[in-house]
Amino acid sequence: MIKRTHFLLGLVLLCTAALTFYKIPVASSQGLTLIAAPVEGDLPFGDPDSDLWGSASAVEVPLSAQNISKPVLLETKVKSLTVRALHNGSQIAILVQWTDSTQDDHVVRAQDFRDAVALQFPLVEGQPYFCMGQAGGDVNIWHWKADWQADIASRQDMETAYPNMYVDGYPYAEVDAEAVASVGDYSDPNYLPALQAGNLFASAARLSPVEDLIAGGFGTLTSQAAEGQNVQGYGAWKDGKWRVIFSRDLASASAEDVTFAAGKTHAVAFAVWDGANNERNGQKSTSQWLSLQLQQARSQAPGAEAAPVERPWYKDPQTMAIILYGALAVLVVIAGFIYLRLPQ
Amino acid sequence: MVWAALVDWLVGRALTRSAIFMPKSPPVILVYQGLGGLGQLAATASGLLVLGALGWLAWVHLRTGRGLILPFALASLVFLSLAFLFIPPAGALAVAYHLNLVLAVGLLGMQVLLAPVETEKKVAAAVVALALATSALHPLVPAVYAALGLSGPPGYSSTIFNLGELLVVLAAFALWWAYGRPASRRAWLLSAVPALAFTALHLANPAIAGVISIWSVGLSLYLPWPVYTLGLWLAALAVFSSLERREPAGWAILLLAAGGYTPQLSSHAFLGIAALALLLPLPGEPFQRTQLLPKRGVWSSEDQEIHLE
Repeated sequence: MIKRTHFLLGLVLLCTAALTFYKIPVASSQGLTLIAAPVEGDLPFGDPDSDLWGSASAVEVPLSAQNISKPVLLETKVKSLTVRALHNGSQIAILVQWTDSTQDDHVVRAQDFRDAVALQFPLVEGQPYFCMGQAGGDVNIWHWKADWQADIASRQDMETAYPNMYVDGYPYAEVDAEAVASVGDYSDPNYLPALQAGNLFASAARLSPVEDLIAGGFGTLTSQAAEGQNVQGYGAWKDGKWRVIFSRDLASASAEDVTFAAGKTHAVAFAVWDGANNERNGQKSTSQWLSLQLQQARSQAPGAEAAPVERPWYKDPQTMAIILYGALAVLVVIAGFIYLRLPQ
Repeated sequence: MVWAALVDWLVGRALTRSAIFMPKSPPVILVYQGLGGLGQLAATASGLLVLGALGWLAWVHLRTGRGLILPFALASLVFLSLAFLFIPPAGALAVAYHLNLVLAVGLLGMQVLLAPVETEKKVAAAVVALALATSALHPLVPAVYAALGLSGPPGYSSTIFNLGELLVVLAAFALWWAYGRPASRRAWLLSAVPALAFTALHLANPAIAGVISIWSVGLSLYLPWPVYTLGLWLAALAVFSSLERREPAGWAILLLAAGGYTPQLSSHAFLGIAALALLLPLPGEPFQRTQLLPKRGVWSSEDQEIHLE
């Protein structure tokens, strides 16, 4: 006769095999979750000061130095960032903020490095390696660069770093161009192969400060084609803080782009570079994966304009923090009181 | 459940993830695919068993009339964990889940404090409960902010995380103090093996040690590394000593290690609850407990009091 424990063990093994074979999970995710709050109307793509951002709860994300792929920096400057997200049913906007005492947005000189931030989304089910994905686990990367942001206002070139420089003249530049000609002054594209090949780094004019990339492990980072660059961005440095907004349509037809859906749980990871600390390429601060959810929009009257929510005093973040930690302190005191009353 | 959790931890979350450091030749890929499959099986088995263990604990507490709150919290955890497979864990449901986790850990910790066991065991269980509660508190606070629509960011997230990691290390010391003494020379030597392996890995390549640590047990290693080495040694010593004495605390420590700190999956968090329950003398537990051996061969009335019938 089969013992009861043996029967139960067999049953568990049978269930385990079936659940594993059919890929049915028995555990749910419970890590940090970034909730993209729904709003009506236009998203604040270029306004980090917009009151609409207050509708989304911020999540603080710890960062640590990437120290697997060489060359590495054992200590990076940026230890954490805060992030919040909004969506309006057709587009998503993500605001990332971190502390950086210097604004590094010039990379004309060889010794200069930019401040930057990147978001990363898996293109497969599950969570591949959090640094650039892995073979069979591609990731879509949105890389905002401070120098690209500065380029939108005014394209940087040698004269930006050396305003008093002088050259006799550039060959192949238009005749009426001045002695110091910018890339846009070149009339013959045959002498600008990178530009003609669609290399975003050689682009005469920036359409976005964000580069849309794909990767499947270290050394595989690849920029998407120029026509596939569909992520917009805006970044501003103020009072020792960078605030950068990423935005894109929720859906994308490209297989190299992540597609967002309300109600579904996505994953997102972050990387930050501090140019003043000579951080570039793999020398950066990275996060682990976070969950990202697009909260379902509540029903609202059609045509209603987006408006920040008026919050009562008890919904003030500082007040809430005091209440939460106060309650915790009371629990600790009660636990201590009970412990002291325990019989010896 | 312990064996499944250990395979899930050591194979599924440690060994297979080290694949990124390996050359990707076809035989290596084949081996890692096999290990990945084994890890997946173990994860499913431990997830299934720990859900059953929590349900069983809820039933036992309900049947023995020890109040309604703990059974309710445990049952809610099982229910919500399964519900989150179909609906996203957001809003009030996410808050309810994390609150139940804190509540269950707190109530179980309180029961250990009130149980007729030695003071050092109470202290060890209290530190374990505090570490588990802090681990659960870390995602609870952002969940509360998100549910209430507060702008945030939640204050002190990093502080809570670091405090919890400190408590994990302290728990290793406390568990050794409660369950690792006295220890045989064999236990001292055996328990030094994982500590030496960690030390060697850390000295050879601190980056890989850090990545494996955060992936497998969730510890960021922000404290000086000798503290972790010592903690690992003492925790392993507590495991070997407990198992030699056939005390369930050894299995509890293994479950705690397999669950890890600030786990990403509900099943790993539940391993911590099961471990805490193993430190508690409950009537009719789901885990086979054998009679405790007396310390240094001398029976005391205190030893007999904590026997389980």
